[in-house]
Amino acid sequence: MPKVSSQQVLELALEIGRIILQSGGTTNRVELMMKKVCNCFGYPETESYVTPTGIFISIKDENGNIFTSIKRIENRRIDLGKITRISKMVNCMEVKPLSEQELQQQLVNFTEELKKIDNDNPWSPWIRDLCGGATSGFFCLLFGGSWMEFAVAFFIGTVVTFSLKYLERLAFNNFLLNAIAAALIVLLAKTLDIFIPYIRLDNIIIGGIMLLVPGLSITNAIRDTMSGDLVAGTARAVEALFITVGIVAGSASMLKIWSMCGF
Amino acid sequence: MQPFDTLTLMQFIWAFLAILGFSIRSNLKGIRIIFTALSGGLCWAFYLVTLYYSKSMLFSVFVAIILVCIYSEIVAPHLKTPVSVFVTCAIIPLVPGRGLFNSMQLYIAGDNLNASKTILQTLLIAGTISIAIALVSSVTNLINKLMNRF
Repeated sequence: MPKVSSQQVLELALEIGRIILQSGGTTNRVELMMKKVCNCFGYPETESYVTPTGIFISIKDENGNIFTSIKRIENRRIDLGKITRISKMVNCMEVKPLSEQELQQQLVNFTEELKKIDNDNPWSPWIRDLCGGATSGFFCLLFGGSWMEFAVAFFIGTVVTFSLKYLERLAFNNFLLNAIAAALIVLLAKTLDIFIPYIRLDNIIIGGIMLLVPGLSITNAIRDTMSGDLVAGTARAVEALFITVGIVAGSASMLKIWSMCGF
Repeated sequence: MQPFDTLTLMQFIWAFLAILGFSIRSNLKGIRIIFTALSGGLCWAFYLVTLYYSKSMLFSVFVAIILVCIYSEIVAPHLKTPVSVFVTCAIIPLVPGRGLFNSMQLYIAGDNLNASKTILQTLLIAGTISIAIALVSSVTNLINKLMNRF
């Protein structure tokens, strides 16, 4: 017997779906989470269809009225922490018979917690920049770099992570974003090469590129396809392909421009 | 290179620290970042050890990804984390960024023969990673369904 209005439940479900999808979750997980939330608030008959760029959900109340809502998803980026926290929150819910007031209270608590998760950053920005640098530097060491190359790659990784934040605000598409970031990596590496002797650029540039490789898109593409979401799987695979092409195009054109300038 | 000497340990530590940085950069927190980092390190260590015994690059990638995916499927539910978060962190060291860069460089230099060779190898590695993830995730689905039935 539902006691919460369907609009509120729809809004909550769409918000959960939006946050998970924008942070890079699989579509299968979004569908499961939305179904579970609707079920907990007394709407067991829910159908949803999720693609990487949009959410469609329709719920049915006890009188047989159907409410449908859609949501367009833009500017996706990697945020595994949000996916984890929302999944944990939704998985802790249970279906139990509650009175009207308790359900309303639960809804309000839920919405507040969701807002907190959406706005919360567990690490301060400069720590995340430094960690981007550390990733780049340690990959450089992993592929056989020396300590000097580690330092250079660390610096480049930090700068690139820092500037990616501002590039994302300009709302470029994925292709251009990765192309510019890869070009920046090559430009910085080549510039530092003039001042610092005895470093090999290969390892440094590969270390930087490992920051941009589409690991998340590959994982999501395969897992979506295997769980039966062919549309989402294909979309993710194309996304991964275009990110890769963007990285190659950006770094290749910067290398070519540099060699044309004659250094 | 021996399979279990200090060099392998060093490489394991580099991969571990790299993925630790990646996890923090993508906003994970708590004890689980140690385990995601461990998955990345184990991925690279499995790859190196298998490469030593089998001398085949694609087979080593396949084995390493399968083992690390099984690790993710086992550990992730205990930490209340989605499995895809673990798998994403785990495969990063083996994603062929180096092959990509090398083939691009060879193309710029005009060496089309070697460039095609490298790009084919890059595509094969990416395909192998996909097949390994697909295999583990479908087998896990199957096991979960069987466990629910009985």
